[in-house]
Amino acid sequence: MLNVENLRAGYSSVPVLHDVSIEVGAGEFVSIVGPNGAGKTTLFKTLSGTVPAMSGSIRFAGHDLVAVPPHRRPHLGIAHVPEGRQVFPSLSVLENLEMGAYTEAGRRSWKENLKRIYSWLPVLAERAAQPAGTLSGGEQQMVAIGRGLASAPKLLMLDEPSMGLAPTVADFIFDRLMDIRRDAGLTILLVEQRVAEALQFADHGYVLETGRVVLAGDSRKLSADDRVRQAYLGM
Amino acid sequence: MTEPQILLEGFLQALAAGLLVGAIYGLMCVGLAMIFGIMRVINFAQGDFMMLGMYVAFFILVGLGVNNLFGATIGPYVAILLAAPVLLLFGYLIHRLLISRVTGARTAGLEGEGHYAQLILTLGIALVLQNGSQVLFGSQLVSIRTPLSSAAWEIGPFWGDFVSVFINKGRGLAALFSVLAILGLWLVITRSRLGRSLRAAADNPEASTYMGIDVDRAYRIAFAIGTCITALAGGLLATNYPFHPFVGLEFVIIMYAGVVLGGMGSILGAFWGGMTIGLVQQLSTLVLPTQLQNTAIFVCFLLIVILRPQGFFGRVVERT
Repeated sequence: MLNVENLRAGYSSVPVLHDVSIEVGAGEFVSIVGPNGAGKTTLFKTLSGTVPAMSGSIRFAGHDLVAVPPHRRPHLGIAHVPEGRQVFPSLSVLENLEMGAYTEAGRRSWKENLKRIYSWLPVLAERAAQPAGTLSGGEQQMVAIGRGLASAPKLLMLDEPSMGLAPTVADFIFDRLMDIRRDAGLTILLVEQRVAEALQFADHGYVLETGRVVLAGDSRKLSADDRVRQAYLGM
Repeated sequence: MTEPQILLEGFLQALAAGLLVGAIYGLMCVGLAMIFGIMRVINFAQGDFMMLGMYVAFFILVGLGVNNLFGATIGPYVAILLAAPVLLLFGYLIHRLLISRVTGARTAGLEGEGHYAQLILTLGIALVLQNGSQVLFGSQLVSIRTPLSSAAWEIGPFWGDFVSVFINKGRGLAALFSVLAILGLWLVITRSRLGRSLRAAADNPEASTYMGIDVDRAYRIAFAIGTCITALAGGLLATNYPFHPFVGLEFVIIMYAGVVLGGMGSILGAFWGGMTIGLVQQLSTLVLPTQLQNTAIFVCFLLIVILRPQGFFGRVVERT
């Protein structure tokens, strides 16, 4: 579904990503892990187009993404749940979800989508009329995830959904993500610093370090890899 | 007529005048609220956009023969209505050509969100418009007068046939059109997909891109709507208010005060902000010399800002 080859990208001529290749098949759950500053968020932003690609190719569901302007990419079926949640603070929770449904697909299936989002994340129904900026961090993360789901995406990209959250809240969010994946059969690309969880749930994974893919493969094999165990799992 | 009757009549007359002029100020402020309150773009040329709206309506009226076609009573309102789309296009183009370089996705991450550049650029636009208009239109006063401007409805008399209030028909109609325009805009902003996308783009340009919104286009549309609304207010004001190329200066300050009073980001708040200014301005004439009416506005403005910094309708919500 998503095929990234030899991607080089970064900010004003300084590349952050060098020669990154990843592949996500339809229905797969893929995790990208790595330390701070490895380029995980830059990779997501390049996929969404807010950071320009310098060379390499990004193909998504038959489209050459590099040629598609950033604001058209969501309409192809990519939902990006950004790092740090980035909800619309002055819009109500419901309006945030409605913004998610700005895509054609999201509008078409809005009613049943909203029902499903509320069933996965009931707190959003309780807070529907409240400005999203007044919610707690965990609730805002749920708004951001709900907003992504409201676009009826083919691919859901999640950038560190556990960032800045208490461990129990982060666990709750991971559980919900597994429910969502099971119920909706969604293709998910996850970036995480919580390596153990990210690999536990994923089909396969990539380890990104200083802008390069240093390890890739089946997530169980990655979890068992000595380098991963020492560097990220503290074993 | 007894003393209390004279006082009451004076008060009611000032109240009516304040409500009527306040409605037009409200519309003006709503135009700026689109640009400054919602999209957070500093525009010092807003008063001059209004001035341009006045002149465009004037020339449509006398130059294009709208006056002869629709008569002296309806003609001015047709001309004002026709000037609105012209200024919508003007706002759209000036954003596309100039303002877009200092707003939107391009400046989202910068310190001050591009406000410094906006300040200088729009001050420059304001100067060009003022001086350009003086060259083109001359500096003598003109107005869009209708016979209604010198006719009035009388409410009353009551209290023993002594107290009555006169409502100028021209101002009354202008106030009515202002309120209708604001209601229309409010519905668009709060209820429509377009309105939601504008608010989202203002809240968080990057996340809006992830929703599939063309952020630069959203800024352009908001700017065009804001220009058009303020110009419409200018046209309505001009039915009772002779104007000249520098008229914008008098009003741009009122507009900023109104938007801040109402609370940044709130359309209805900006309307009430403008209304408050109109009321304070007119009611102050009861107790203060007329020359001090603008002083009264700013004393009142300072008091409200000290007591309620977020404005009447402002919500204290952190922006990303």
